Amino acid sequence: MPTPFDVQRNDRDVMLAIRGSLDINSAPPLAEEIDRIVAGKPAKVTVDLAGLELIDSSGVAALVKLYKGVRGVGGTMQITGARDQPLAIFKLLRMDKVFNL
Amino acid sequence: MTPIRLIVPGTLRYRALAVRVVAEAARLVSGSKPGDPENPQAHDVRDPFDTAVVSAFMEIFNNIAVHAYGRASGGAIELAITPRERELVIEIKDHGNPFDIEGVAPVPSDLDESSLPEGGMGIHIAKTMLDEMTYEPGPPNLWRLCKRMPSVRTVGRS
Repeated sequence: MPTPFDVQRNDRDVMLAIRGSLDINSAPPLAEEIDRIVAGKPAKVTVDLAGLELIDSSGVAALVKLYKGVRGVGGTMQITGARDQPLAIFKLLRMDKVFNL
Repeated sequence: MTPIRLIVPGTLRYRALAVRVVAEAARLVSGSKPGDPENPQAHDVRDPFDTAVVSAFMEIFNNIAVHAYGRASGGAIELAITPRERELVIEIKDHGNPFDIEGVAPVPSDLDESSLPEGGMGIHIAKTMLDEMTYEPGPPNLWRLCKRMPSVRTVGRS
């Protein structure tokens, strides 16, 4: 079952909301969306993880890919709403500081 | 205590099922309660003990399905889950290719934008989340995961 995610675009700002579980099964379809987001050369991407319950290393890799892609085209990325297990994973990997969580 | 036993096909299709069983077993030890009885699809992994167990197990299941079985069907993953009063032990057997756990590169300890990894984090997550993790190449290959509840501190009179 793919991870439910919503993308809203407003000029060069993008809001990506991810819910449920972002994992080895659901990250590939999100990766396709990530490619589309980066191709649009966004100025700012906000990733809302308030509805995200579980993440694994594949899910983290997808978000890192988005981060690097957005930075590579001169944009910024912000993660908001991370909580519970996903927040614990970001902290364990010491990515909380990079993502300003 | 008699272990909880579960055998699932060793593909990612059965991952969510196995994760739910492990999450419930973790709850038997931690005593945490599901958050939303109206939403049985919710994962409700909030307790630190449950978080550690589920996070580690997800990575090991991924590893077996991808590396031991090469994403192919035909193999099985055998779980023996033993909840004790203050610890949970999960033994995971597979009959796929052995994994070179010694060859896993460490995740950089001081990350910045340039060093953010896009892979190779799974074993690091599992090992760091658990109190013990061992791997014996087979056949069968055997992973043994152990997570203990933190010890209760008591304040004594002097």
